[in-house]
Amino acid sequence: MARGWWLRQRHYFLYIVREFTALPLALWLLWLLFEIHRAAAGPKGFYASSSPAFIAFSVICLGFALYHSITFLSLAGAIIHIKGVSARMVVLSQFALWFVASLVIAAALIGFAR
Amino acid sequence: MNHDAAKVQKPAIGHLVWWFLFAQGGVLAAILLPVHILVQGILGPLGIVPVVDRHYDTWVRVLGNPIVKLYLLVLIAFPFFHFAHRLRYLFVDLGFPAARSLPAQVIFYGGAIVVTLITVWILLTTVPISFG
Repeated sequence: MARGWWLRQRHYFLYIVREFTALPLALWLLWLLFEIHRAAAGPKGFYASSSPAFIAFSVICLGFALYHSITFLSLAGAIIHIKGVSARMVVLSQFALWFVASLVIAAALIGFAR
Repeated sequence: MNHDAAKVQKPAIGHLVWWFLFAQGGVLAAILLPVHILVQGILGPLGIVPVVDRHYDTWVRVLGNPIVKLYLLVLIAFPFFHFAHRLRYLFVDLGFPAARSLPAQVIFYGGAIVVTLITVWILLTTVPISFG
């Protein structure tokens, strides 16, 4: 197979993008690990990331994260089969779960900041 | 006959474990990651909302909680088994069939195991467990 096969069709390109999402997401989680580790520096040594470069990095990662979420959760309809429940309902339930979990996590991240 | 069946089943169990980790990691990343990136990576640094990891006191208080430690381990470690699988096949798809080989599997999945161990180590050593 020629190396550039995935550039020839939009569908192939998006498939490769879906696989590629793993890289920015992995890098962002490694940053989170680093942010956790920085707490070991004590109250004087600790600092929170706030550079424009870090924010830009997060914006890019968020784009890939949303793409992963939407493509991955949409697959649930093809994987999970429950009698009497349509594939569409399965996918909807996954997106509802995503929405509720996001609200709970956001509330925790903001609520425990006080 | 039975001997043959055992032979066939052995690698299948290995596949099941990796497939389970791949699927779980994918689900966890899909459901949990975007909000962490949005809140901790964008809204917090921009100062739009107060976020727990912006200040030493609040960050250390939650990091000492054993439930938070367990959550962070799940949030960080599981997705790496998903990422390892995806990135290995990304190499295959981009024209590097060597990514299918056993050494490549050891490197990619071994990498996910290494990240898991580092995560456990950081979570246990950074802030001591406290129930306060």
